[in-house]
Amino acid sequence: MQQGGWLSAIEQSALGVFARESVWLYPTANVLHILALTVFAASIAMLDLRLLGAFRETTPGLFVRRIRLFAAGALLIMLLTGGILFAAEAPHVWANPVFRIKLALIGTALVNALIFELAMGRVVDRLPPGFATPVPARISAAISLTLWFSVAAAGRLIAYF
Amino acid sequence: MTRITVLAGAAAVIILLGIALANAHHGWGSYDAANPVTVEGAISEVNYTNPHATIKLKGPDKQWTVTLAPVSRMQTRGATQDKVAVGKTVSAFGYPSKAQPDELRAEWIKSGGEIYQLR
Repeated sequence: MQQGGWLSAIEQSALGVFARESVWLYPTANVLHILALTVFAASIAMLDLRLLGAFRETTPGLFVRRIRLFAAGALLIMLLTGGILFAAEAPHVWANPVFRIKLALIGTALVNALIFELAMGRVVDRLPPGFATPVPARISAAISLTLWFSVAAAGRLIAYF
Repeated sequence: MTRITVLAGAAAVIILLGIALANAHHGWGSYDAANPVTVEGAISEVNYTNPHATIKLKGPDKQWTVTLAPVSRMQTRGATQDKVAVGKTVSAFGYPSKAQPDELRAEWIKSGGEIYQLR
């Protein structure tokens, strides 16, 4: 298989062809991608701000868990719609340095979330309302906020590089 | 500590937004708006597809790849598939790409005496 053959394969797949030839699939996927992003960004901001010490009267574990459902749902929609946008012109998008930066940022942000869950999840779960969250949880939240908003910025910037 | 972290996070977000806005002036930034060209010729190839329709146009000097608009915009502006079919002679007014010497992003396209604005 030639180098990058998998990218052409995606572009020539039924989904890729349909994403290009359908009048509405591409714009619809684009709109849903952005709508999901607004929900995702708001959810991430809420739960990370809670870990950073905002809304201190709420129970951190419960608050984070509830809002994380919205973030996860929105992330799923973004993965699906992003896949459609990618399939339409996979080799071009892959060649775009900002797209690769975006993928790397998403990977890093997911690893950061996993580390939080494994290392601090239980500690945060046991915290009652009104208490300061531990410093590692706050660092994790600051990293999360920075990474996810960078992902959003990178997504928009794909069109300009 | 908490306040410092929040401020640092907010600063990072503001900086990123600034970068995004500075670059997001418009998607035409990679085209040379200072040197517009008009190419008239026969269409040799059409991709009436998203995210942008493109045509190959045999100009007098060379063959251009002309980037048009998303399919839905092409249709609402009246530049339907029959207006940009293979073999048709059209003129495209637009800006050469700064990256690809044979690519042109069309501001408008003229087909059958009718001008279709694509921006």
